[in-house]
Amino acid sequence: MNLSEIIEALHPLEKKVLLWTKGEPRSVESLYQANVIDSSQIEMVLGWLHTKQICEVLETGRERYVSLTPPGEQYAKNGLPEIRIFNRIDKSPTTIKEIQTSSEFEPDEKSSAIGALKEAGAVQIGPGGILQVKNREVLTQFTKIESLLKKLSDHKGRLHFQELTEVETLIAEQYSHKRGKSKGLVRVDEEIKRNLVPVPVPGRLVIEELIKSAHQKEAAGAPEGAKEFSLLTPDMLKDGSWRTQTPRKYNIHLRPSRITVGKKHPYKQFLDLLKSKLVGLGFMEMRGELIETEFWNNDSLFMPQFHPARDIHDVYFVKDPPYAGEIPQPYLKQVSEVHQNGWKTGSRGWRYTFDEERAKRLILRSQGTAVSARKLAGNPEIPGKYFSIARCFRYDQVDATHASDFFQIEGIVLGEKINFKTLLGLLHLFAREVARATEVKFLPAYFPFTEPSVEVHVKHPQLGWMELGGAGLFRPEVTLPLGVEVPVIAWGLGLDRMAMMALDIKDIRDLFSADLELIRSKKIAG
Amino acid sequence: MPTILIKKMDLETLIEKKITIEEMESYLPWVKGEFKGFDPKSDELKIELNDSNRPDLWCTEGIARQIRLKTKTLRPKYPFYRHASKNKPFKIIVEKGVEPVRPYIAACRVSDFVMTEEALAQFIQTQEKLADVFGQKRKLLSIGIYHLEPVEFPLYYKTVNPEKARFVPLGFEKEMTLKEILEEHPKGKAFRNVFKNEDAVPLFVDQKGTVLSFPPIINSREAGEVKPGDQNLLVEVTGTDLRLVSLVLNILATNLYDRGAAILPVTVSYPFKTPFGKEVSFPLEMESPVTVQIKEIDRILGEPFNGEKIKKALTSYGHTISKASAAKLTVIPPPYRDDIIHTVDLVEDVAISLGYDSFEPEMPKDFTRGGLSKIETFSDTLREYFIGAGFQEIISNILSSREELVYKMNLDGTPPPLVEIDNVMTAQFSIVRNQILPSLLRVEAASGKAFYPHQIFEIGEIAEKELSLNTGSRTVVQLALLVAHPTASFSEIHSYLETLFYYLFDPNVCRYELKPVVQPSFIPGRSGEIGVHGPGKEESSEKKVGLIGEIHPEVLERWQIGVPCVSITLDVTTLLTLFP
Repeated sequence: MNLSEIIEALHPLEKKVLLWTKGEPRSVESLYQANVIDSSQIEMVLGWLHTKQICEVLETGRERYVSLTPPGEQYAKNGLPEIRIFNRIDKSPTTIKEIQTSSEFEPDEKSSAIGALKEAGAVQIGPGGILQVKNREVLTQFTKIESLLKKLSDHKGRLHFQELTEVETLIAEQYSHKRGKSKGLVRVDEEIKRNLVPVPVPGRLVIEELIKSAHQKEAAGAPEGAKEFSLLTPDMLKDGSWRTQTPRKYNIHLRPSRITVGKKHPYKQFLDLLKSKLVGLGFMEMRGELIETEFWNNDSLFMPQFHPARDIHDVYFVKDPPYAGEIPQPYLKQVSEVHQNGWKTGSRGWRYTFDEERAKRLILRSQGTAVSARKLAGNPEIPGKYFSIARCFRYDQVDATHASDFFQIEGIVLGEKINFKTLLGLLHLFAREVARATEVKFLPAYFPFTEPSVEVHVKHPQLGWMELGGAGLFRPEVTLPLGVEVPVIAWGLGLDRMAMMALDIKDIRDLFSADLELIRSKKIAG
Repeated sequence: MPTILIKKMDLETLIEKKITIEEMESYLPWVKGEFKGFDPKSDELKIELNDSNRPDLWCTEGIARQIRLKTKTLRPKYPFYRHASKNKPFKIIVEKGVEPVRPYIAACRVSDFVMTEEALAQFIQTQEKLADVFGQKRKLLSIGIYHLEPVEFPLYYKTVNPEKARFVPLGFEKEMTLKEILEEHPKGKAFRNVFKNEDAVPLFVDQKGTVLSFPPIINSREAGEVKPGDQNLLVEVTGTDLRLVSLVLNILATNLYDRGAAILPVTVSYPFKTPFGKEVSFPLEMESPVTVQIKEIDRILGEPFNGEKIKKALTSYGHTISKASAAKLTVIPPPYRDDIIHTVDLVEDVAISLGYDSFEPEMPKDFTRGGLSKIETFSDTLREYFIGAGFQEIISNILSSREELVYKMNLDGTPPPLVEIDNVMTAQFSIVRNQILPSLLRVEAASGKAFYPHQIFEIGEIAEKELSLNTGSRTVVQLALLVAHPTASFSEIHSYLETLFYYLFDPNVCRYELKPVVQPSFIPGRSGEIGVHGPGKEESSEKKVGLIGEIHPEVLERWQIGVPCVSITLDVTTLLTLFP
């Protein structure tokens, strides 16, 4: 910024202060006394000038003052309770009780005053709780305090440490602390002496310039400051007074403070993008329940009831109620038969006795395919394409690569013309649209509910070759018992690694982080 | 699925050629294998096998066999499945007592063979993977191997009282009763849970009464300690399903045959009916022929193949074609496989044999209409509204804990019904959340250092326990918002509710009312239940859709939150029903 820009950006209060310094170092104290600007605004203006590097505010020393506290003021007037009690005892022996019941002394001071006298050895307690004078000499320590209080009182309650004797200084330091239960008698304040020092460049130059233009304005007879305004107000617009004033120029280079804004969660933003892509490709969203029966989660998908992925080390079971009321027919009967002997599907089945009670066992949905299974039985459109982004749960130790619950993105495609080649075509489409990958590899895979099954790997620009998802054609043992007679593609995408890469996080738990600053700071590009 | 270690040299010997790692990787799709690494120092390849229905592939011999089938023109023959039916001097007699305990046993003899160190290492690895993974930790099946010479036929498979029988188990030097083995032997302790009760347990003995093994726990030290250099062996499999037991014996027999051994039969005589009759000679070829229409294969694969191409694909993958016509093929799968449940399983074999990359991907051409569910569309509208109002969106785990949902919400006096997990892994993730507010308080508690004010919200799923429903609960979409800063107040959060309803509903159709509520999570007198009057005119049409209020300082203290918080919770699922 050049000089004129700096001057234009000055606030009128800053100008007043700068003109007052005449370019010389001044004590801040004198600024307070000079009445140049309102004293409540002084610190603010000093802050501005300091930030703009026009003036520096330098500490030059510290001054100590002692002053009376409210109790100190009271004792300066009435005398110290210790001395007053001593005098009373000195007049005639008195019991502690008498003093404590006497209205002569302030109730909160009696005990500590007696205690202090005893401790100093001025009085002692005789038989029957009678207080007696023990040593008159030591009372001087209390009279010294009293005289300091009186001296302060004579000087409007406040003195510079330089004005105290050595003994008074010691007492002031000692009694500025708490005294028993009550407040201290005097207070010691430290005042920091500061100087306002114009910085040679640009400070002094700015001030010289200001003085010059002030003289010119004076010569021209224009009232200083009348023509500048800071905030444009509705009143100024109404009466047109903005026309006769100039807006003061602001320093637009100053960094403002940050504000909070409303923002999507970055992972949700990632999923929203995916959602809109799938909708764009003609997929309809499906929803399901978090708590599922084993029937829809496993049995309907032709996973035999003895399948290892169904035991208590893989799936979370619900405690209460453990079983669902019923499984709808004819699905239960048909699925049960397909497991036992293949039903009418041309399959030989798994050849074991299907347990219908087990089918009712309630679990936390462990795979999004459960949502697809329900859709197959729920009058899907043919041809039809469906997807779901379903929260799933697995019995896993939570760590950097395993979450307690996570999103599964999966779906189905139904149609007379569906076959292995259209399955590969769909995966190719996902690779292009979702992962923006041009290099794609298809590998044989195994899923209990699809045959043929395929894994699709893509070459990700940052992650290299990675598995994008798994898919296959639903086995007839899955589709026919649920009433679907056309071929069906089942597909699932594993996008957590891609999401973690996009969000620059290494720990899967951070996808659901509770750290607000982390969530706010994550950036994701469309 | 299992990950196995194999020696590259051993694999090369079995496939009769040297290969590079790249070649190895290019072969792996045939076995649904995933290359996990190679250590040139130990010459060990690490491979994960993905097909849980193909246990024959979980070993060097099986992987080598599948590669050999595809790379060599000559197909291996396994003649040992055909045995003379008359002469049966090698018998196992099964006693009745095993039927409820562990009913089936299958066995074969191995001779003309020298067990090498590598063959033995592979046999042990195969035995472990089959019994642990395929056999579900020996519950469904387990495997034993013994010196053949000292064994005197017939052998007996029976049950005994575990305190009555004793022998010296592998790994120990002293004679122990079966009960002592279950209690003291590491294998006994690890696998005793396969028995539902221990009153009678299986024992495998010979003619002289010498114990061969205590299936499925441990072999006898004398008969069952096989070492490199051994020549004549007995291999046995016991289990709960005869097809499974027979399949596993076939896999082991084929593996040893591939290493040059002669496989000789053993006949098992059962006192009860089995799927293969009362007297069964093993190894047994179980797989019945499967007839498949060529048209069906073409339809599934989406390409009009000729029969010859399919025949070649199947035979070069290990199947035998017993009959072929222009329209259909009769296929006999190899005896070491029992996974052809439906013709679609053969179709996949055709595709794998031809190579997935040989298929030209084709875009599905059907026109379909895309769209979101109503609840998702409505949730997105609400999200957009609150983001516009300056709120940061949050997503949290759905699993939570009693501490967060009850104690920290100051609800210990009136605990809400909760959907709890039966087989809890950690208390921190043991309950499906019944409301979202605790998730937001968790964020607030963790974010005291984040720049204020905090305005956060989450729309997500919760589970409401409702015993009258079929599954005992319902999944509800809920919205919660939380404002936290030093002067957060009821009137501030109330404005958001007021404005939300202004934007969502025509006040003539739907309006909300607040009713004072006593809920220990909130400050009494500064909280309310949000009731909505729907399109109906009667008072009874009012629905409760949420809660609003200042969070009780007791709750803030329990979460260790240092600023005042105010919140709204809304049942989005119910709100959606209010739209005409």
